[in-house]
Amino acid sequence: MNHVRPSVRRNPIYQALRVRWLSITTLDETASYILIGLILTVGLVLRLWTINALGYNSDETVYAGQAASIAGVPVIKEMFPIFRAHPLIFPFLLSLGFRMVFNDLLGRLLVVAFGIATIYLTYHLGTLLYNRRIGLLAALMLALMPYHIIVTRQVLLDGPMVCFAILALYLVTRFAVTQHSPWLWAAGAAMGLTFLTKETGIVLMGGIYVFLALSPSIQVRIRDLIISIACMGLVILPHPIAISLAGTSKTAGQYLLWQVFRRPNHTWDFYPTTVPTAIGPLVIIVALLGLWLLWRQRSWRETLLIGWIATPVIFFQLWPVKGFQYLLPIAPVVAILAARMVFSWSPERASARLREIWQGWGRGLLATLLILSLLIPGWVAVQSTGTDSFIAGAGGIAGGRETGLWIRDNVPQSAKFITIGPSMANIIQFYGRRRSYGLSVSTNPLHRNPVYVPIENPDRVIRSGEIQYIVYDTFSAGRSPAFAELLMKYVRRFQGHVVHTESITVTNADGSTMSKPVIVIYEVRP
Amino acid sequence: MSRSRILSRALGVAWLTLILLALVTTVAQAAPLGPKTPIKHVIVLMQEGHSFDNYFGTYPGADGIPADTCIPINPSDPKENSCIKPFRLGERPVENLNPGETMFKAQYNNGQMNGFVYALRQRDKNGALSMGYYDEQDLPYYWNIADEYVLFDRYFSSTTSDGVNSRMFWISGVAAAPNNRIPKQGFGDLPTIFDRLEQRGISWKFYVQNYDPKQNYRAITKDGVPPQLTRVPLLAFDRFIDNPQLSSKIADLDQYYEDLRNNTLPEVVYIASSSGSERAPSNIQSGPLLVRSMVNALMQSSAWSSSAFLITYDGWGGWYDHVAPPMVDDHGYGFRVPAMLISPYARRGYIDHTLLDHTSILKFIQQNYDLPALSTRDAQATSLISGFDFAQAPREAKIISIERTIKPYVEPRRDVIYLCYSAIFFIAGSIVAWAIFSSNTRSQTSNLIQTQPSQDGLS
Repeated sequence: MNHVRPSVRRNPIYQALRVRWLSITTLDETASYILIGLILTVGLVLRLWTINALGYNSDETVYAGQAASIAGVPVIKEMFPIFRAHPLIFPFLLSLGFRMVFNDLLGRLLVVAFGIATIYLTYHLGTLLYNRRIGLLAALMLALMPYHIIVTRQVLLDGPMVCFAILALYLVTRFAVTQHSPWLWAAGAAMGLTFLTKETGIVLMGGIYVFLALSPSIQVRIRDLIISIACMGLVILPHPIAISLAGTSKTAGQYLLWQVFRRPNHTWDFYPTTVPTAIGPLVIIVALLGLWLLWRQRSWRETLLIGWIATPVIFFQLWPVKGFQYLLPIAPVVAILAARMVFSWSPERASARLREIWQGWGRGLLATLLILSLLIPGWVAVQSTGTDSFIAGAGGIAGGRETGLWIRDNVPQSAKFITIGPSMANIIQFYGRRRSYGLSVSTNPLHRNPVYVPIENPDRVIRSGEIQYIVYDTFSAGRSPAFAELLMKYVRRFQGHVVHTESITVTNADGSTMSKPVIVIYEVRP
Repeated sequence: MSRSRILSRALGVAWLTLILLALVTTVAQAAPLGPKTPIKHVIVLMQEGHSFDNYFGTYPGADGIPADTCIPINPSDPKENSCIKPFRLGERPVENLNPGETMFKAQYNNGQMNGFVYALRQRDKNGALSMGYYDEQDLPYYWNIADEYVLFDRYFSSTTSDGVNSRMFWISGVAAAPNNRIPKQGFGDLPTIFDRLEQRGISWKFYVQNYDPKQNYRAITKDGVPPQLTRVPLLAFDRFIDNPQLSSKIADLDQYYEDLRNNTLPEVVYIASSSGSERAPSNIQSGPLLVRSMVNALMQSSAWSSSAFLITYDGWGGWYDHVAPPMVDDHGYGFRVPAMLISPYARRGYIDHTLLDHTSILKFIQQNYDLPALSTRDAQATSLISGFDFAQAPREAKIISIERTIKPYVEPRRDVIYLCYSAIFFIAGSIVAWAIFSSNTRSQTSNLIQTQPSQDGLS
């Protein structure tokens, strides 16, 4: 402030502003509330921006369909079994909303709420582990992070699951900080909620175990561990009771078995090629750099965070089934580690001038670079540009909702559809409210999701008039070209003629735009 | 002005008035007036050779086979006590029972309705076969139609003979074929419903499955009559063969689907099947398959909302039916035949007991388009209109299942799910709340411990 002229410094307005600025830079409680409020607002804007421009993708229809079944929404309840896959915390909460109003926006808003809650918890976790600055920067990075934005704009279980998981991590941290046993018990309860949102959340228990095993400074009594696990069991217990008493199918158990033994759906390099880009390469580099440069200052805190990251990364890398959103639990922790590097590291061995530069504006510059490196891709991620290809869990399907709504308005009730795969079938069932079967669903029970019904003999069912429509979509065709070709064979054989086409606008290499058909509905007859 | 000039002017005005009146009348007659009901497309499919009891004799609520039915093997022999009870045919192979006027008389037996077995035995056939029937396991699609739309259980074939006269009643309201045979010279100028429609500019078509235009009455040889001709008697009219404007309206069944797709379905549609006609000994499943294809195509088109699709049968096929047909003239009625009405305005799951025959179709078309009757029979016939409820909003198209037993949706115990999952949040919330509460209590205690020494002055 030395560059400010004395006359200005004496100005009362300047002095008032300086006091306010100092309160922010020193981060007293009020300033922190203001800043976290701003961060949450930014996070909210990014998550709500054109949130419903595209309709649900297949996974979203499944979870929203489960919620609709719990709420008893007509027709949909007959197409989406309640105990279909995964426990029901999220569908249960969504069903409460569906009982009042049924639309696809509601589900996404609920996930956004969980996403915002996760940002807030990340702030508290960073603050508890280190300080408010780290908490705030980590929260801001998470708010801007494309990975977290993309997943928490969709009706997927991972957003809510990560929220409960970060709550559990926060409670474990409070236990570590205070050595007050009830926090560990509460962490067990939060892990129960995590598990009941998505079973894979149980993997994160490994991270907590690694932390407790490798942190001798944290004293844990066996009794407290048992109580904590009992708390988790107590929270989980009503779920099997609901399954056994609700009078529904055995699908839930079969689904779990199928998940365990199903064939790989991606190659080994799926995560290395998709997740770092979505988290932010600079964020990962800075987080790793921080671990390296601050290695001597390591404590139980880093053990906790590294264990939390390493466990799901190793597990899901080895697990044959891979999903874009599966590694989301590591995102808040990576952000905290990157923020730690920014605010905890100082070039101790460097010259005083260099230290002064780092502490003066170097930190600010790195923080700004981190924010900008996330802000731009984060903003791009929320633009509703439809594409004709997709990764499961990475976004909505352009034209899917519109196709479904056309079907609902123009196709006879009880009409049946064949699609290339079960993804488009789910979308047609949710939006179109018409039964739909994926051609690629295997007739071998060992090779198919137990909730999907295969078509034993497509030729026969079309010939007998049981199937009236065939739907071709470029998304599924890109993933299963062989089944796409087989589907078109049936279109030709049964004199299919186009009754509806859904197109998107695509940009050519020369910058010009053109309309490209992405979903085509054919009417077929014996 | 001279008197003659006044007179000539007056005559001129009168002449012009007359011309104008004539023109107006001609235009009024030629211009199609809209239908009188919301039905803008009347579609009639004529199948072959099954009695009502043969298809719907066990349909709940319909006038079906009486419980104690047992038809004597020889009704004319009082000593012969043996009788045959109705039985389910299922997938049992059947033969053509060769029904005709003679068989009708034997089976009708002066209104006693007990000659069904004997009539076949007289022809060295398995008499018991006539007592066979099909049920919902065999005809799930038709039974589902009856569940959803209208089933007529007092719909009689128009003649005592199966065959061309039955079809003649369908198109012209008269039995114009002597001895149930198509005359060598054709039917000449006999008016048909299509002539009436043509005169009024109302569009129509006669779709024929596997249509072959060459198979008309000129192709009749000593060896026999082309089967298509019996099904499509229009091909025994010179004008419907030679006049391109008329002959173009007899088309292959594929054109029905094209017309639906192109939104060019005519207002009145007659359909004659061939391979899907269901006449014994062919597989009866071919009929529902064909009907399903046609009904689905209609439901998938824009024509559905203003359509009526009637499925009926030209004759009883030699099969047992327990209701003695009323004899309204020398030609019949014949035995009851199945008839189902599908329409967005059809009553739901309605069994219509109105007395009807094939000329009831003509009657409905005439009523709907304000056309004059063709004959005494159709003038006196009762219309199909009782099957409709035009006060109701048009029903949305709903594909009819081919499965009779659809696994019912079992409502889950939603209260259990809500209770259990509310309990989950209650338990988790209580544990976390306990942690917060106990932590606050501990903080206060430790604060107290820390502050007490200074208060006491014991640091």
